Amino acid sequence: MKPENLHRTLREWEIHEPLPPRFQERVWQRIAREEAQTSVNPWTLFSNWLGQFLARPSMAVSYLVLLLFCGLLAGYWQARVEQTHTLEQLGSRYVQMMDPYHSRH
Amino acid sequence: MKRPWVILIAGIVVALLGYFGFYFVCTAPCRSIAREQEPELAWLKKEFHLNDAEFARISQMHASYLSGCAERCQRIDEKNQHLKELLASTNTVTPEIDQLLSEAAKLRAECHKQMLQHFYEVSRTMPPEQGRRYLAWVQERTILPDNHQDMQDMHH
Repeated sequence: MKPENLHRTLREWEIHEPLPPRFQERVWQRIAREEAQTSVNPWTLFSNWLGQFLARPSMAVSYLVLLLFCGLLAGYWQARVEQTHTLEQLGSRYVQMMDPYHSRH
Repeated sequence: MKRPWVILIAGIVVALLGYFGFYFVCTAPCRSIAREQEPELAWLKKEFHLNDAEFARISQMHASYLSGCAERCQRIDEKNQHLKELLASTNTVTPEIDQLLSEAAKLRAECHKQMLQHFYEVSRTMPPEQGRRYLAWVQERTILPDNHQDMQDMHH
């Protein structure tokens, strides 16, 4: 087929089939979905997740209780380590006072 | 600020408060001991559960022992200094070095005797169970020689 014939045929071509229902609306929804997917960053994802996670009062209370418990546990553990160290040190100093030449052997 | 963010930050603050609060409370006894005039004796009181009367008597014994100990330490220092000079002047064991080593050992034995005597007196002032524990603890760290395993480790 010659190009001028093809152009004429295309110009004269008419579609008589109707568009599917809510065609335009679906197209716009699809465009919006695609745009949303390309613009989401991790921070927004985290923010959304956090909003959903802490929206429920039970989860918010559980979160606060858990963090309080972790803080208390860490404080207790650190204090215990430090206390043991200090007491051992004081014990060694007592021995050193009693026997100043002991460590020089 | 959105509510979830407020809760998130509140959680972190609560955790920090819990940590420092518990740490502060749990280390308070140690800080109190360290602030004492003689922390070593304060430690002894805590470690061996002494009451005030026992502690006062042990503190007196301690002061008396330390004055004698300082005098003996001075004599040991003098002997060591003399020995150092002799060792620097020769490369054999001279009769003088031999005598000085014997004197130093004798002095050291005298120190051990006085120290042991003090430990017994202190242990008798404590409640019986604590006294036994004190004696075992302090002897292991002063009078009793290093254990066999330590000596083996040193040789290898």
